[in-house]
Amino acid sequence: MNCLEFRRAAGAEPEHLTAEALVHRDGCPQCAEFLKKVERLDATIFKALQVPVDSRPVLPRATRARIAEAVQASVGSRNRWYALAASIAGGVAVGALLWAGGSRDVLARDVVAHLAHEPKAMAITSVPADAGSVRAVLAKDGVRLRSNMGLVTYVMSCPFRGHEVPHLVVQTSAGPVTVLVLRDEKVSRPKTFHEQGYSGTLEPSGPGSIAVIGGSDEQVKEAAARVEAALEWAR
Amino acid sequence: MRASKEISPPLTRSLYMNAPFAGKDGETAFARLCAELRPDLFRFAFWLARDRQVAEDVVQEALLRAWRSRESLGETDSAKPWLLTIVRREHARLYERKRFETVPVDQLVSNESPELAVAEEREVVDMRRAIFALETDYREPLVMQVLLGFSTGEIARELGLTQGAVLTRLFRARQRLRRDLGVAGSAEDDES
Repeated sequence: MNCLEFRRAAGAEPEHLTAEALVHRDGCPQCAEFLKKVERLDATIFKALQVPVDSRPVLPRATRARIAEAVQASVGSRNRWYALAASIAGGVAVGALLWAGGSRDVLARDVVAHLAHEPKAMAITSVPADAGSVRAVLAKDGVRLRSNMGLVTYVMSCPFRGHEVPHLVVQTSAGPVTVLVLRDEKVSRPKTFHEQGYSGTLEPSGPGSIAVIGGSDEQVKEAAARVEAALEWAR
Repeated sequence: MRASKEISPPLTRSLYMNAPFAGKDGETAFARLCAELRPDLFRFAFWLARDRQVAEDVVQEALLRAWRSRESLGETDSAKPWLLTIVRREHARLYERKRFETVPVDQLVSNESPELAVAEEREVVDMRRAIFALETDYREPLVMQVLLGFSTGEIARELGLTQGAVLTRLFRARQRLRRDLGVAGSAEDDES
């Protein structure tokens, strides 16, 4: 593989280079540098594509009514009363689950759903995130660190329920935990939850709350205490 | 029933073999799945349409169609590509039904300026503007690859292209973004 072929491959699919391309990269400093530039570009493209998603109702009333009709039509040959019940159940199921502004259970589900969109963040690593970026992202939300919360390996200001919120990953002895700092989500008391195999907790913090998600209740509890102690709300 | 003929899930199975979205439990599971995938569906629609309201309409119509056909979806793992296909087709249908006025890219950018300015980093704002200005042929595979994690083979199948054509479009998309953003040294990089 020559340099031109490498750059065409790296410029099209930088995350899936062939073994031959990797050998070329290792032997060619200029192409290795080119690949780094493409990876930096991709990181920016990824951030740019993450446009905020509104926390407005996903399906307005009229649409939910249409879903109900569709369900009713799909069971048209069955008993009419059963069809009506099915349509209501269907409409309610979708409406309830897709209605974004809702109970704290929905908040827990939204928090876990957010994890699914940044799977790379959950890598086990010992490479710290840039300390300046951590401070800047927290400061945007009126928060500063008064003590060390542990090894922070990922930091991003993420769209969540119509707001930009700090998203951190902190490494613990039991693996990474995700922390979302939620100034605009109030909870009255700590609430643990279990969603999609994750353990998590929502805890009151400052004017809002923090969400901590990890692999076990113990890990989450310990990490949440450390994070809460480390955060200082300036406003 | 017409909808289920129009939109075949990637893996079609008998309802009686494996239908995780059949019955009452299936309804709940499917609704939950839609809620989880909605941000991706919305962002995909947004970058196709470059308009928030159109994207909302497309996603709602797509979810309606998906809801009607949910029992024919064989595997949970197939749900994301299946839903994205529906969003893509719904977006195309919308343009078949309505004749939108041709709007210059600069005006689109200005219409969406709050959207483009929401990120705090200048670099990200500039990148959003550059992606906005990319032609659909380049923007769509790039969004599918970088945002949604599709392989080039999957993109090729979805767009009805050869894998080679997809690789070329992805290469050119990044090349244009580097050029539009004035990334230093990009010309030499491409030529060397």
